Amino acid sequence: MKTLKILVILLIGGLAISFFSGMLEGKERNNLFAERPAPYKEKKNASAAREISTIKGYDIGDTATDFSLKNTDGSTTSLKDFKDAKGFVIIFTCNHCPYSVAYEDRIIAIDQKYKNVGYPVIAINPNNPKEYPTDSFEAMKVRAKEKGFTFPYLLDAGQKIYPQYGATKTPHVFLLQKEGKNPIVKYIGAIDDKYQDANEVKNTYLENALQALLSGEPIKQTRSTAIGCRIK
Amino acid sequence: MKWNLLIAFLILSLVSCDQRPIAKVVAIDQNGLQQALVADNEKIKVINFWATWCAPCVEELPYFEKIGASYKNQVEVILISLDDAKNITSEVQPFLENNQIRSQVLLLDDPYAAEWIPIVDQHWDGAIPVTLIISKDKKQFYNKALTYKELEDAINEFL
Repeated sequence: MKTLKILVILLIGGLAISFFSGMLEGKERNNLFAERPAPYKEKKNASAAREISTIKGYDIGDTATDFSLKNTDGSTTSLKDFKDAKGFVIIFTCNHCPYSVAYEDRIIAIDQKYKNVGYPVIAINPNNPKEYPTDSFEAMKVRAKEKGFTFPYLLDAGQKIYPQYGATKTPHVFLLQKEGKNPIVKYIGAIDDKYQDANEVKNTYLENALQALLSGEPIKQTRSTAIGCRIK
Repeated sequence: MKWNLLIAFLILSLVSCDQRPIAKVVAIDQNGLQQALVADNEKIKVINFWATWCAPCVEELPYFEKIGASYKNQVEVILISLDDAKNITSEVQPFLENNQIRSQVLLLDDPYAAEWIPIVDQHWDGAIPVTLIISKDKKQFYNKALTYKELEDAINEFL
């Protein structure tokens, strides 16, 4: 009889403890993933930049800004360096994003095909390497060499350029055409509509736009959407 | 006496487990997505698009788990993974187990994102993470990563 009493007390006690521990667990659950240590001020700036990027950014027909960014080959690259170019294929891309990686070969192919007719690719990594260590300048150098990038691969150090363009993700393409000296935005969006497999693409948005520019025709589709990794 | 203690601890350990089982990922196509986006008459749907490789997505998953547990009578959390379908058994399901994810998890197996992005929201640029809250008379789209407070405030606007 006594043992039964003790058992009942233990049972009730156990239930009560489990109830409270459940509550505690609920409260502590948000610590499951440790937050990346980042100074408060920097965090605030980053979120401000993200908001700007969703509000502003270029429309078709806007003049794109030039920049002066560090290239993985050690030089500094600006649009004005390309005196003979008719325009540019600006692609915001990076190392860490699987969508970007899936497009690397296609980006190289586009550069090789269109550089000679006046539209070189310029790749820009817009991410803060503190958020994504695999997007550091050193890691960019390694990746550019590994894949044999035929185009400049630049770091948007300080993240000043991507918000002006209005890039929100990687990969994110801005096709520019020079009118006089000004690079004018002609197409914004995706490279094509299937990242997993280049052979199963239905719409080659970027190439269609490039072909239209080359033949002097209006671009049928000046914007497209695709999944990408949010710039951080 | 020792046995009693042992039995008590056994019962204790059973009861203290979260009742909801670990999620099992279910692959869906565009039709499945359409169904997931239909408003429910009773519950508020909180739909989050994420992927295992997406760091800001993984960072906010615990907030959705917490909301799902705390508001379980009013809110249905649906986590839609955009991972590659071929990684379900190698990456997605192990991720759910390692991180004790108990909300409903779907995996959208449809590569033609340009077709279904506008179905989710016409303002979506395709960047993840992204969150959608749907009730029978209201819809709100959050084209950014959310903090727990932002998410809870957003849900309170629907309650």
